[in-house]
Amino acid sequence: MQRSVEATVLGEFTDSGLLECYYEGKCIAQISMDFLHNGVPRMHLEAALTPTPATASPPRVTESNFKQALLSVLGALNVCSKEPFVRMYDHEVQGQSVLKPFQGISHDGPGDAGVIRPLPNSKRGIAVACGITPKYSELDAYHMMACAVDEAVRNLVCVGARLGHIAGLDNFCWPDPVESDKNPDGAHKLAQLVRCCQALYDTCVAYDIPLISGKDSMKNDYRIGDTKISIPPTVLFTAAAVLEDVERVVSMDAKQAGDLVYVLGETREELGGSEYFGVRGLGGGAVPQVDTTRTRRLYDSLAEVMEAGLVASCHDCSDGGLAVALAEMAFAGGLGMALDLGPLRGLPMEAALFSETPGRFVATIRPENQTEFEARMQGQSVHFLGRVTGEDEFNIARDGQTLVRAKVGELKQAWQRPLQL
Amino acid sequence: MAVRVLVLTGFGINCERETAFAFERAGARARLVHLNDLIADPSRLDWHHVFAIPGGFSFGDDIASGKILANRLRYRLGGPLQKFLDDGKLAIGICNGFQVMAKMGMLPYFDGQFAQEVTLTHNDSSRFEDRWVTLAAAASPCVWTRGVELLEVPVRHGEGKFVVRDAEVLARLEQNRQIVLRYVQRDGAPASGAFPANPNGSVDDIAGICDPSGRILGLMPHPEAHVHRTNHPRWTRETLPAEGAGLRIFHNAVSYAAATV
Repeated sequence: MQRSVEATVLGEFTDSGLLECYYEGKCIAQISMDFLHNGVPRMHLEAALTPTPATASPPRVTESNFKQALLSVLGALNVCSKEPFVRMYDHEVQGQSVLKPFQGISHDGPGDAGVIRPLPNSKRGIAVACGITPKYSELDAYHMMACAVDEAVRNLVCVGARLGHIAGLDNFCWPDPVESDKNPDGAHKLAQLVRCCQALYDTCVAYDIPLISGKDSMKNDYRIGDTKISIPPTVLFTAAAVLEDVERVVSMDAKQAGDLVYVLGETREELGGSEYFGVRGLGGGAVPQVDTTRTRRLYDSLAEVMEAGLVASCHDCSDGGLAVALAEMAFAGGLGMALDLGPLRGLPMEAALFSETPGRFVATIRPENQTEFEARMQGQSVHFLGRVTGEDEFNIARDGQTLVRAKVGELKQAWQRPLQL
Repeated sequence: MAVRVLVLTGFGINCERETAFAFERAGARARLVHLNDLIADPSRLDWHHVFAIPGGFSFGDDIASGKILANRLRYRLGGPLQKFLDDGKLAIGICNGFQVMAKMGMLPYFDGQFAQEVTLTHNDSSRFEDRWVTLAAAASPCVWTRGVELLEVPVRHGEGKFVVRDAEVLARLEQNRQIVLRYVQRDGAPASGAFPANPNGSVDDIAGICDPSGRILGLMPHPEAHVHRTNHPRWTRETLPAEGAGLRIFHNAVSYAAATV
């Protein structure tokens, strides 16, 4: 062939109602279309949710060293930098990338969404982001799913996407949900699947997200001897949004000394499944929950202030909570921060720093945009936390009392070290 | 008269569209031509002033990156390509295209003959790397890099370590001023072989070389991937001109070709 592509004619469509295969003139297979499409009998399965002890009494923890806790959380495997692996992929094919996976002054801060400009002569772009939170499944697979959708959506909102222009993909990886002698808790895993699908429906409808593709893999169990290892119920949610003007997108790195730092969205005491509980070896606790009525309003307002060019940088709070988001923005920008979490004084410090409540962002705003930004965000949960500084100091206090005093480089090192190749 | 550029495509080349776009932005007319069509009708070269081998993974990087395409060009199109170059026309090989040029001997082209003297081999890191690097242009006859001092562009390769047959080849490249671009630190200080400024361990930090005339350029980094301000990794925090710095390479070639051929 002209393009040296190997291609062979295998057959033709017929109206016989049969799939027929021939080899050297002899019919070797003949299956009716009805059997092919409808022949598999439908399964009838029982689902039963077994409440986990995790929902009982939430663990209490009193942190003695917040700086050490932050460094540990930054180095947790779900949080730490994956840069060496990401760089093994060509993420700039066709010269389209507008926001790359790693951002900031040294190209090593973790971006929220990737943005490409598919047509070099157009300013329109596509943002792509993911959400994945299997660590919440044991607590409640419903909220695992809602949090994964919200994380992907938040990541898109971070770069300037609007609800209403977002499409989603759901990729399920599940432990065997069919009960049998070898799989005695199958009914529970099936019930988790039901909970998860309810959340997928509720959250996507609330955010106007059509699910345009997806897949499932339902037998992710491994047996060696008498030991069975099953993955936690997992959904990778990928979301893509059309952006009208790629030149207006916002990256996550703190931009300049003097900029004002805000946390957007309500923080609740939701440490269940958190990275902080992970490094402290704690189970149980309150699972993070998405309140789509509130988040929708926040995302719409944030999209507007971003479009108006009022946001210098924006990053979502996800694994590791508020403290990790703040630290990542500081070291990505090569800048310090002087912060006071006074506005979150209703919460225990552990929750203020490390709670993984969804629907939250950190944004930095130039001082000259403060009035307009605050006016436009009126009625939303928006708290001023402090400023970006030119010092090599990352300080978090509450009501004047210092909780974390760290060098910016020290934070970055803690985050980069675990998976450095 | 418009400068006409033949941009090679097919068999896993995957940077042909942005390469053509960069030439068009620079004022040329660029045409994508499939390798099979060029082999079928080599006279297509006559109509063009610039021959470009873009990046990608031609023939799946089988045997070694660029090796099969190098052999196809050398043994199926060697004569017409030699004539094209002897006519004073221009050629560029980017990334996989540079690997092809090195392996077919279109560079360094010491005596105006295809003969392999250099190659691009596995990065010292043994990994594919996508990262932005800073290049410094050396004093050379290269028409493509005129006026370039420092240039920020991405590398995206697993086999980009430039090596020479022997010390004599390196001495000859230096003597002829055929070393065009070197990896440097962001402030322009020598990379001295150190990762990540030198991303692959190239000898003498070499990122690109030209032929003795300066009309043929081969380089591992991708200037066609920096044609917009928004391609730059720090565009959201720095004030940069709307046009990406990599476009200078294409402007230079188009101006030279317009004036000479």
